[in-house]
Amino acid sequence: MNKITLDHGSGGKLTLELIETVFKAKNGLDSAIIEDIAFTTDSHSINPLFFKGGDIGKLSVSGTVNDLLCVGAKPLYLSSAFIIEAGFDMEKLEKIVESMTKEAENANVKIVCGDTKVVENGKCDGVYINTSGIGKIIKPIDGQRVKDKDVVIVSGTVGDHGFAVLNERENLNLSSSLTSDVSNLTHLLIPLIESESDIKFIRDPTRGGLAMCLNELCYNRDFGVEIYEEDIPVREDVRVMSEILGIEPYYSANEGKVIIVASAESADEVLHILKQNELGKNAAIIGKITKDNPKKVVLHTKFDTKRILKMPVADKMPRIC
Amino acid sequence: MKTVNLELFNNPDTVNKLSIAIKNESEKLNKPIKIMHICGTHENSIVRYGIRNLLPENITVIAGPGCPVCVTSSKDIDAVINLSLSKNVKILTFGDMLKVPGTEMSFYKAKSLGADIKMVYSVFDAIELARSASKPCIFFACGFETTAAPTASALRDINIPGNFFIYSAHKYTPNGVYALLKSGKINMDGLILPGHASAISGLKVYERFVEDFNIPCVSAGFESVDVLLSVLLILKQINNKKPKIENGYKRVVNYEGNKNAQKALEDVFYLTSAVWRGLGSIDSTGYELRNEYARFDAKKQFDIIYSDNYIEHQKGCRCNEVILGNISPTQCPLYAKLCTPQNPVGPCMVSDEGTCKNWYDGGIE
Repeated sequence: MNKITLDHGSGGKLTLELIETVFKAKNGLDSAIIEDIAFTTDSHSINPLFFKGGDIGKLSVSGTVNDLLCVGAKPLYLSSAFIIEAGFDMEKLEKIVESMTKEAENANVKIVCGDTKVVENGKCDGVYINTSGIGKIIKPIDGQRVKDKDVVIVSGTVGDHGFAVLNERENLNLSSSLTSDVSNLTHLLIPLIESESDIKFIRDPTRGGLAMCLNELCYNRDFGVEIYEEDIPVREDVRVMSEILGIEPYYSANEGKVIIVASAESADEVLHILKQNELGKNAAIIGKITKDNPKKVVLHTKFDTKRILKMPVADKMPRIC
Repeated sequence: MKTVNLELFNNPDTVNKLSIAIKNESEKLNKPIKIMHICGTHENSIVRYGIRNLLPENITVIAGPGCPVCVTSSKDIDAVINLSLSKNVKILTFGDMLKVPGTEMSFYKAKSLGADIKMVYSVFDAIELARSASKPCIFFACGFETTAAPTASALRDINIPGNFFIYSAHKYTPNGVYALLKSGKINMDGLILPGHASAISGLKVYERFVEDFNIPCVSAGFESVDVLLSVLLILKQINNKKPKIENGYKRVVNYEGNKNAQKALEDVFYLTSAVWRGLGSIDSTGYELRNEYARFDAKKQFDIIYSDNYIEHQKGCRCNEVILGNISPTQCPLYAKLCTPQNPVGPCMVSDEGTCKNWYDGGIE
């Protein structure tokens, strides 16, 4: 009999299949666009709950805020629903709520409703948080206008979150400097959305990382993506850890980065706007949209060789968001 | 400790120079040649850096039996899975072993049927887990010299909890490859020696490959420059008609190998025949625990039941030919169709060291 496996929640190919075959839905944008409203929801089940650079509280706010921003909306209101395990430390819960409040303030959103459920001890690890969010569309960004020769931009270094969480959870002690990039991107993206730049697609490359995000971008489309390894920003500690573990940073999750597709004419302006903000200081053009390899993401190595960056099937790092 | 700047070994200029040198040398060849590597991590580097794109047409680099998980027999996998399902024990093993199909199922499947199976990163990790466990913990130990040495050293040198046991499926590479070569199951014009395994065994154990088969043997690291350098050195040896052992990975490998590791292996294990998946039994390739270590030996401490009807390769699966480098993954009719990393039919589609998995991940169709 077919069973749900952890891989169905990886955000990779199996998740996509589950959405299409069981939920009978289309894997769409990060948020639904309904007239001038953006609406989204996200559940968070990260292990460990507290990690370098953030915790599940910060993540649950920034994740939903970022999903709203990605469709060109100004995030306004969030809900928060907690599933808490009996026996969970009150002090930890307070800490989580505190970071949610702080992140919401920073992102200029209000948490306006919520729900609390407690389950028996052993039924969930500590706490799961679901947040839903509503935003007002400034400029709808739905990826439909993406076409040949558009440029692909990343707002900063890739892979930080996945490796930071893995390092702590598995007690790998591979790096002491490794920190998650979890952050809301309100102040980075609002100026961009409000600008005249011709932005066609924004997505936060969370589970499955850059590779998944770009594969989704060209999934069932008549174009492909070409990216250049030497242009992709990767932190030195992330690069070292990725070498040791044999997991490429392109497959590791980010929680404070976006991939942007813009027209070639707008590329410089987009970069300029991103670099105004601390969170976008490492922004870089990493490639372009191409008609040459439809539905495929081609990585050009520094040696002028090419290979396909496949859609990840399952997650090498489960439960990281 | 000396630190090495690995960037130097992936420098595009150096890669370019090596590519040109290889091309020049290749023009002197009087026939197309086949170079084999016997380390899954080399295949990983070759696919990742797109090395095959850089080689002239008359040079083919193929993957040989270099993936430890891929050569672990269903016989061993089945026996440990049966134990995990019938006794109150915890099985600890490496991540890439979990999804390798046995005759009926993988460890992963057994886990979903209730078996207590946990992934570990090393033998030391496994021992620590056993300390806090309340039942017998059996480490399903697979791998070549590189992982056999830490297993040996752990058993010999550290305090092991009473509930910790080893099921050794460790294998010794040089004897295996030598036997396959001798029997004519594999052939090549040059051999890229493994990086990590050679660090343990040293290069001297490969002398007989040169003496008995006139095969140029060059050790290589895992960066793009390392792999290309080994190809170039092999080409030069072929063109000079002077096959020998050469060290292309001096920052890690030497002629004598790691004496401490060799001593640990010698103290704890003896070599006996072992079944290599799909290739049958090969003499003096299986690391078994010596009698002094019998108390850790799961094969002696538990009632292990072996079936005579184990199946190494399911119908249609051509992993055994892939392992020998006789066909490429794309020549297997199941590759990327019925056999994928999420639903592997054969072992080569599971581990990151498996040839099929590397090709699949690299989008090779």
